[in-house]
Amino acid sequence: MKNTIRIERAVHNITQQELAEKIGVSRQTINAIESNKYVPSTVLALKMARLFQKKVDDIFLLEDTD
Amino acid sequence: MESSLLLPHRYKRIGLLLLLPSLVLGILVRFFDFTFSFLTLHIAKTTVNTNNLHLEDNINLTDELALTGIIVALLFIAFAREKTEDEYIAHTRLASLKWAVLINYLLLLLATWLVHGFAYIDVMMYNMLTVLIIFIVRFNYALNSNKKSPE
Repeated sequence: MKNTIRIERAVHNITQQELAEKIGVSRQTINAIESNKYVPSTVLALKMARLFQKKVDDIFLLEDTD
Repeated sequence: MESSLLLPHRYKRIGLLLLLPSLVLGILVRFFDFTFSFLTLHIAKTTVNTNNLHLEDNINLTDELALTGIIVALLFIAFAREKTEDEYIAHTRLASLKWAVLINYLLLLLATWLVHGFAYIDVMMYNMLTVLIIFIVRFNYALNSNKKSPE
């Protein structure tokens, strides 16, 4: 599964720490999601989508290997 | 992992503060036969003449104290919350725990075949602590390697 969180962060000009605080998770979580080490829960993904004002499908992309 | 089983964050430091003197005491007891004389319990002496069996008439509790201190300290460190507990940290904690149990038993198997005789008692003694230690090392390593990544 790929995600475009890093790009969205750059577009909205916020750091990992700021994003983490806005959503209410730790910076490690954001880092792990961006590095594809961790797949976030549905709630977390929805929160991110709402923050970036995009749909979940536009941020999280299913790969053939999933 | 159920958050209700976790201790407040400050227990990590309390655990570390408790661990150092407990470890020192443990080393002193194990390798230097050190004991606190005030911790000696006097119990009745038993002698059986035909077999010359003689039971110890004193129990010293210094080793019990050292081991309890080490175990409690490790438990505090292992079960203390992080400052921000979230889903990823809970996931990492569970993964680290599984990893620690597996690695611990692999090491034990290795030691079982490599260490023989009375020395194996040492293996069993260290094995009491290695699950917690491996978990603590693995969990904190997983969290910190994430922290050090860019941005």
